Amino acid sequence: MESFEVLLEKSGAAHGHLCPGQAVGVRMAMLGCRLIDLNEPTSRDQIKKLLVYVEMDRCTADAVAHVTGVKLGRRSLKFMDYGIMAATFVNLETGHAFRIVSTEESRDLVEVYTPEIADKPTQQLKAYQRMPDSVLFRVQQVEVAVPEEDLPGPTRFKANCSSCGQIVRDRREVVRNGRSFCKPCTDDVYFSAAHEITWPDMNWAPKEK
Amino acid sequence: MLKKIKLKDAVGSKLAHDITEIRPGEFKGPAFDKGHTVCNEDLCHLQKLGKNNLYVIDLEEDEIHENQAAAILAAALAGEGIFWKNEPHEGKINLVAETDGLFKVDTTALAALNMVDEVMCATLHNHTLVKKDEKVAATRAIPLVMKRVAIERAAAIARQNGAVLAVKALRQARVGLVITGNEVFHGLIEDRFAPVLSEKVTALGSKVDGIAFAPDDEKLISKAICDHLNQGCDLIMLSGGMSVDPDDVTRKGIQMAGATEMNYGSAVLPGAMFLAAYIGEIPLLGIPACGLYHRITVLDLVLPRILAGETIGKADLAFLGHGGLCKDCQDCTYPHCPFGK
Repeated sequence: MESFEVLLEKSGAAHGHLCPGQAVGVRMAMLGCRLIDLNEPTSRDQIKKLLVYVEMDRCTADAVAHVTGVKLGRRSLKFMDYGIMAATFVNLETGHAFRIVSTEESRDLVEVYTPEIADKPTQQLKAYQRMPDSVLFRVQQVEVAVPEEDLPGPTRFKANCSSCGQIVRDRREVVRNGRSFCKPCTDDVYFSAAHEITWPDMNWAPKEK
Repeated sequence: MLKKIKLKDAVGSKLAHDITEIRPGEFKGPAFDKGHTVCNEDLCHLQKLGKNNLYVIDLEEDEIHENQAAAILAAALAGEGIFWKNEPHEGKINLVAETDGLFKVDTTALAALNMVDEVMCATLHNHTLVKKDEKVAATRAIPLVMKRVAIERAAAIARQNGAVLAVKALRQARVGLVITGNEVFHGLIEDRFAPVLSEKVTALGSKVDGIAFAPDDEKLISKAICDHLNQGCDLIMLSGGMSVDPDDVTRKGIQMAGATEMNYGSAVLPGAMFLAAYIGEIPLLGIPACGLYHRITVLDLVLPRILAGETIGKADLAFLGHGGLCKDCQDCTYPHCPFGK
């Protein structure tokens, strides 16, 4: 794994700005990988062994994903919408899993660790570099039973929505009275008032060279 | 885990913790020690102490008693020059100076430790001069029973920079004094700086090896410094000439003598025009005229730290600002006042 400084710089660039959440996320990822013995998580032989569950969609999540190389599209990054500054690192080969929680007290201790800095964002960024892991994080060893349909790899399960015909992958269908439905055909959906439209330049496609 | 039992059912049980008795102005201490077996005769006394129920401890594998917790914390807190005995008193362990010296606290690590739920450590102020066997800190776990992992995490936090607490013995410096000023050099007035500085030096266990007088001439001030260094002095203190007048050339003299680091100005009153410089590893302290008038100045804050082996830089002089204002009390009670705390 690259040094903290290098990872922080690259993570900040990938995220779009260098913020305190990047420092916390990079360190969380470094600790998580160390605990599950995957010290080169982006290497060819380790990348398929790692799953990471992030519990927030904040800056820290991007840093964790950047350092570990996990991605939503590879199914190695799982988003659990808990609103907690925490992530769980799972070694699929050994089954070892550790949940790392960013402590609330670390936020209160920022000024204590950086008394010479007055500017708040700079102070936070520096403080989260100075604090030892013991202050920044609490760690739980956990067991994570990863369902077969959540594992990376080819699609193993497909179902047809009995209402609209949509194919639903990975057991995300909703079964009611023995019939399968896609989520949009149930009430449990994030949008409303859906109706199909046409749009300008409907036949656009990238030109082949 | 703690189980509550009624007092009337407690005869024959062992107490899970010391039971404290407080008689205002007369006594505070354990009326009953942890492990004491409750007998019929105790019931009335316990009732008078407001105890109608008692705890019986049934520790789970991942739990520890407050006494064990206090010992883990004390071990993590104690650094050089600190000792403690594994004899918790009402769940609390005192940490004591092993030697005379300067008490030092890693205030950052202390704050981080105290942010952990259910543990605490209270200390004297950082940079307090202490005597051997003086209590400098105390620690305890707050609940009677707690999870071992929480205590171990707190202990790790305490050890983040080695240890939170230390007492550094003061070295015995060979001090060279340079008293500057035409008025003294030419005998127009009698010097009163040398006795004041000598007293402060000897009070801290060091000795004055030589006193040189120099006029307001940077070359001669520089020569006086070099002479002291050549004679083996390992701390130079200069008085006067630290202000902004054209005749104030002590700083120039220090520079000319080969100072590798110079920090002029401290966030302390009295002592704003104080200077801490170094020639190699040898400190040079420039004491402004306030040192003559005020009993206690920035010198009293800095000199013990120098003798305890600290290198005083710009940040150290700046951070003295909070608490660095002397109230000029008619009856000075320093160090028992807020100055320098």
